Amino acid sequence: MSSAASQVRDGGRFESARVSKVSLTASILLIALFGLGVLALMIGITQIPPAEVLRIVFTDGGERVPRIVIWSVRLPRFVMGALAGASLAVSGAMLQDALKNELAAPGLLGVSTGASLVVATIVIFNIAIPLGTLPIFALVGGLAAGLMILLVTRLTRDPVRMILVGAAMGALFGALITVVVVLGEPEELRALYSWLVGSLIGRDWQDVRLALPWIATSLPVSLLFARPLNLLQLGDDMAEGLGLRVFRTRALIFVVAIALNAAVVAVCGPIGFVALVAPHMVRGLLQTSDSRQVLPVSALLGALLLTGSDLLAREVFSPAELPVGLVTVVIGSPLALFLLRRLIGERKEA
Amino acid sequence: MASQALTRTLERRGFAVRRFPLFIGLCLVAMALLIVVHIAVGTLDFSPTQIVLALINQAEETLHRQVVWGLRLPRALVALTAGAMLGLSGAILQTITRNPLAEPGLMGVSSGAVLAIVLFIVTDAGGSIWQGVDSGLALPLVGMVGGIASGMLVYLLSYQRGTVGGTDPMRLVLVGVLVAGINSAFISVVLLAARADEIQRVIRWTVGSTSGRVWVHWDTIWPVAALAVPLGLLSIGLANVLQLGDGVARGLGLRVEWARFGLLAIAALLTAGAVSVVGAVGFIGLIGPHAARLVAGGDVRRLFPLSVAFTALLLIVSDIAARTITIGWLGLITGLDIPQTAGLPVGAVTALLGAPFFLFLLLRGKAAL
Repeated sequence: MSSAASQVRDGGRFESARVSKVSLTASILLIALFGLGVLALMIGITQIPPAEVLRIVFTDGGERVPRIVIWSVRLPRFVMGALAGASLAVSGAMLQDALKNELAAPGLLGVSTGASLVVATIVIFNIAIPLGTLPIFALVGGLAAGLMILLVTRLTRDPVRMILVGAAMGALFGALITVVVVLGEPEELRALYSWLVGSLIGRDWQDVRLALPWIATSLPVSLLFARPLNLLQLGDDMAEGLGLRVFRTRALIFVVAIALNAAVVAVCGPIGFVALVAPHMVRGLLQTSDSRQVLPVSALLGALLLTGSDLLAREVFSPAELPVGLVTVVIGSPLALFLLRRLIGERKEA
Repeated sequence: MASQALTRTLERRGFAVRRFPLFIGLCLVAMALLIVVHIAVGTLDFSPTQIVLALINQAEETLHRQVVWGLRLPRALVALTAGAMLGLSGAILQTITRNPLAEPGLMGVSSGAVLAIVLFIVTDAGGSIWQGVDSGLALPLVGMVGGIASGMLVYLLSYQRGTVGGTDPMRLVLVGVLVAGINSAFISVVLLAARADEIQRVIRWTVGSTSGRVWVHWDTIWPVAALAVPLGLLSIGLANVLQLGDGVARGLGLRVEWARFGLLAIAALLTAGAVSVVGAVGFIGLIGPHAARLVAGGDVRRLFPLSVAFTALLLIVSDIAARTITIGWLGLITGLDIPQTAGLPVGAVTALLGAPFFLFLLLRGKAAL
């Protein structure tokens, strides 16, 4: 956190060195994402050689069957995964900085569960909603949990307590999800359950079209909050002293972060731990907590992590596919425990 | 901690403390009354006299006897026993972690048991408890293995070498919440492999439900209760010493880590026994012991028995609520397709009660966090 402050003071050569480091990391991540994309389009039940993949994606050429496989199955799934990963990572980075809490993530704060409850209700009861507005409804559910957390920030600044409040909200919404789910048709339950873990199985362009408008507007907006986020990292009192209206800013940040998460929940379900892990990895990679750099790079890394996890989910037990949420849980939870260890350590010192 | 309130309560030496045996007796009377109420509510109305007559085999109609003996009494007994077990488990966990927030659900013990049981059922396609087949003690034992594994995982991950307490209470609960989340992700995945019509029943069970529990289930739950509840009550001395703090306990010659592990195993057995029959009823092991602590203070000799009584009462009351509250009206208001007679699973009732209570514990300034 202090590095962010010192950086503002320094500038000049240091600043340009940083910029080049950030752009270097970003380009490496972009290249990796591209490589992973080619790989994701290549492998599967129909193997397609890389040259063919590139020809099919970038030209009108290629044979008919691989073309259909790539354009209507693998590419939309990859694009959806990348979009979802980017949104989750940015959402997590914003929540972590806004709450000054290393463990803050939509999954652990109960925000994802709240969003899931609303989506599950709409799906189970076949409620007619205007086309493409599902993310808004998910946002409402997420905000219910977010509001609780926001109010808690007025009562306590203890990050651990905050996470436990989130866990309580999560348990409450989780019980309500079960109530809703048992009212549903048994045949629908399987799909619904896979969605409740977080899944990219069978996501197509229609799903991308559903999520894209929300993600495409929220992601750039989130970058506008980089500066306030940097101030919030200094602590509420300091931020207030520097002229930031802390509570109002934090509420706005919450809305944007929860909206990003809600768009993902509406389409892929509550995929866990990407939002928690990606920002931490980025802070480690860049050796800074400056949100102006962390947010965009987190988006890239989140996309890389989620599409990579999805590739694993597709291939580990091929031809059976796992929901990607399981892979992220398995990879992410040890990291979460590690972060917890650090958080409690800091708490002791304080 | 709540200790200030506790000492104040203790100094006043309330009725519950002065006349503890009498108080426990009153709790038993309340239990008996609530069982009658529990049996009375439902689609077929009974008067209390009819129930008592049916219970002592003097019913005027055989239907009464069948309904009371065959359906409602076992459900009431299962709910009562499960509540007692979860309450004792919660009290033990709160004592060994010296943490007012510890609870089987929050410490990952329940979800570990559920995961093990779900795995067992899915792999062993036959004789599942939901088909009315007597599964004997297999499910509680499997559940106990899962519960201990999960509880140990939480305990070991939160163990810190070199700190005075060995285990930071706060850390324990947070690790527990994380592990419970991981468990539930795996439960969902295992369920994906189950048959579609089974999924619904299993889901209902994972949140905790007492509906349709009959004598088969009673046969599963009572041996575990008969083994584990006395064990838990016998360990009171151990728990009392442990509660003084690790340093003092060590000074008194107690092998702290072993004592704690033994108590954890008992708590896991209690939890697994209850969970294997009624599912992961949440938060009840949090509320019951807390209420007991408020009434009887922190002395484990009174705390444990009273936690058993209070939590059993609480689960019976929750189950009565779950049976009487139908959410059909919600369908009428919102125009949703909810069946008229749809009820809440008892786990949903306890979550609705318990989550706000948990929030209250977290946010009142005094909590020992």
